[in-house]
Amino acid sequence: MKMNSWIIITDERRVGGMLNLVRALSGQVVAAVVGPRSLADSVAGIGFDRVLCFETAEEIPAEAYAAQLAAAAAADDAGLAVSSDIPVSRILLGAVAAKLSAVIVGSVRSMAAEGESIVISRSAAEGKVLEDIVTAGPAAVIFDGEDIDMPAAQAVPVEIIKAEDTGDALRLVETLEEESGSGLLTAERVVSVGACLISKDDLKLIEELAEAARAEIACSLPVCDDLRWLPTNRVVGHTHNQIAPTLYVAVGISGQPQHMAGVRDAKIVVAINNDPEARIFKNCNYGIVGDLYKIVPALIAAFKSAH
Amino acid sequence: MKVIVVFKWARNPQDALVRADGTVDWPGVKLSANDDDPVVMEIAGALAGDDEIIGLTVGDGDTAWAAARGVARTVSVTDAKTDGDSSVLGTVIAAAVRHIGEVDAVIVGDSYWDYGVVAAITGQLGWTALAGVTSASYEQGSLRVTRKIGSVSQVLEVNGPVVLAVAASRAEEIEPGMKVVLMARKKPVERITLADLGITPQPAAASRGTRFPDTLQAKILDGADPEAACAELVAALHSDGVV
Repeated sequence: MKMNSWIIITDERRVGGMLNLVRALSGQVVAAVVGPRSLADSVAGIGFDRVLCFETAEEIPAEAYAAQLAAAAAADDAGLAVSSDIPVSRILLGAVAAKLSAVIVGSVRSMAAEGESIVISRSAAEGKVLEDIVTAGPAAVIFDGEDIDMPAAQAVPVEIIKAEDTGDALRLVETLEEESGSGLLTAERVVSVGACLISKDDLKLIEELAEAARAEIACSLPVCDDLRWLPTNRVVGHTHNQIAPTLYVAVGISGQPQHMAGVRDAKIVVAINNDPEARIFKNCNYGIVGDLYKIVPALIAAFKSAH
Repeated sequence: MKVIVVFKWARNPQDALVRADGTVDWPGVKLSANDDDPVVMEIAGALAGDDEIIGLTVGDGDTAWAAARGVARTVSVTDAKTDGDSSVLGTVIAAAVRHIGEVDAVIVGDSYWDYGVVAAITGQLGWTALAGVTSASYEQGSLRVTRKIGSVSQVLEVNGPVVLAVAASRAEEIEPGMKVVLMARKKPVERITLADLGITPQPAAASRGTRFPDTLQAKILDGADPEAACAELVAALHSDGVV
């Protein structure tokens, strides 16, 4: 099945994963970058057939260009549009899907061509199963699968698309960074705690483990929201920090999808939990089943010996 | 501002029954409020002011839920399919919004239960749309919306009709009491069908069913001997080049 695939890009996350998603399908693969020229330049050398840059005006959010992007995709006879699951990209995808009269599928992990159709596999029932959906028509998919580092390829020229005047429909007034001090987003190692400790004083155990592992501290949402033991900038999850450490140690975290979405790009996940049936043991590389009050002191000693 | 809130439009994926053969069933599971719906109601209240808030739901959604949280009247598309086709459901909801008439904002939960539905609604309506919204205010004719991207929040000014997909970062703080819920059941409900909307949405995709994914083969250590387990773990991490 030959069709042009448009990958909607508003930041650098999951670009490799989205490109890999459509590689098996025939047709041109177009990077439709809605953002600064520098973002388009960063993806020009990873294997796209074309790179278009809808260079956004300062103080005009990317969503304001949804109609222009959709018209351009339709003019290019796009049969497939892909975005990541970040809010900006999903809104743009919705506009493209409406223009193409495309079926929309979320939580997509993989795709395959099958004659004149494509089979789209999406995560369902909180990631417990995959559902295979087949369509012969245009499709717009929201990708939340694994990101991949694509090998360097011949760079293609970036085609600048003059952004249309969006009037006063949408304007950026102010940008507010979250309180600084949390090195979570760039940390190589992270120790994360769930709502499993007997008292707030026991956070000292987690702090010692983080120190021994030379890691930043993070937590699940209940530790912040319900217990108020750690600030919101320490929360990992799909509505908070999404991080990609080399090592993520989850202490007493059950492994709910909302939390695990925040670490899906972690290289190694270690889980410590006293429930052998805890969901996190199906989403980790290593796990230790046991009482954290015994395991964590032993792990502190083991990390100190290793360093 | 005249506001529509879309609520109870999906089933909670935690309620899905996954059988040993990988098939999925939903025995007796009704549509439910997602984690974002309570904050949807709060933001609607903040924007509507003295104007009415209209609730919009589909299928068997309990209309009293929104009525107890500030909705003046509710429209329910009773025969809308809620079986997982995001595009069809989004089309139905957008058609129902147009049926209700001219409004200033449509507010819906930006729920991971089905991001596809939110994308379909925003695309079908063709209005300015924002997702990841955490708060909004309407003062002196100006709508200001705060949305979050990663660790950065942005305040945006919006003119014209808008769709706001709200991402809650906290649970509902005060649930309505039973008395409020009982009074809410007396608020008007308009039950309409797809025929009333003049649409017969046709699914453009077909499901072949569900299966178990290839899961990560984790190495699980028995913590009965914590020192031995941790030593083995750290040795493995060393081999992986992580430690």
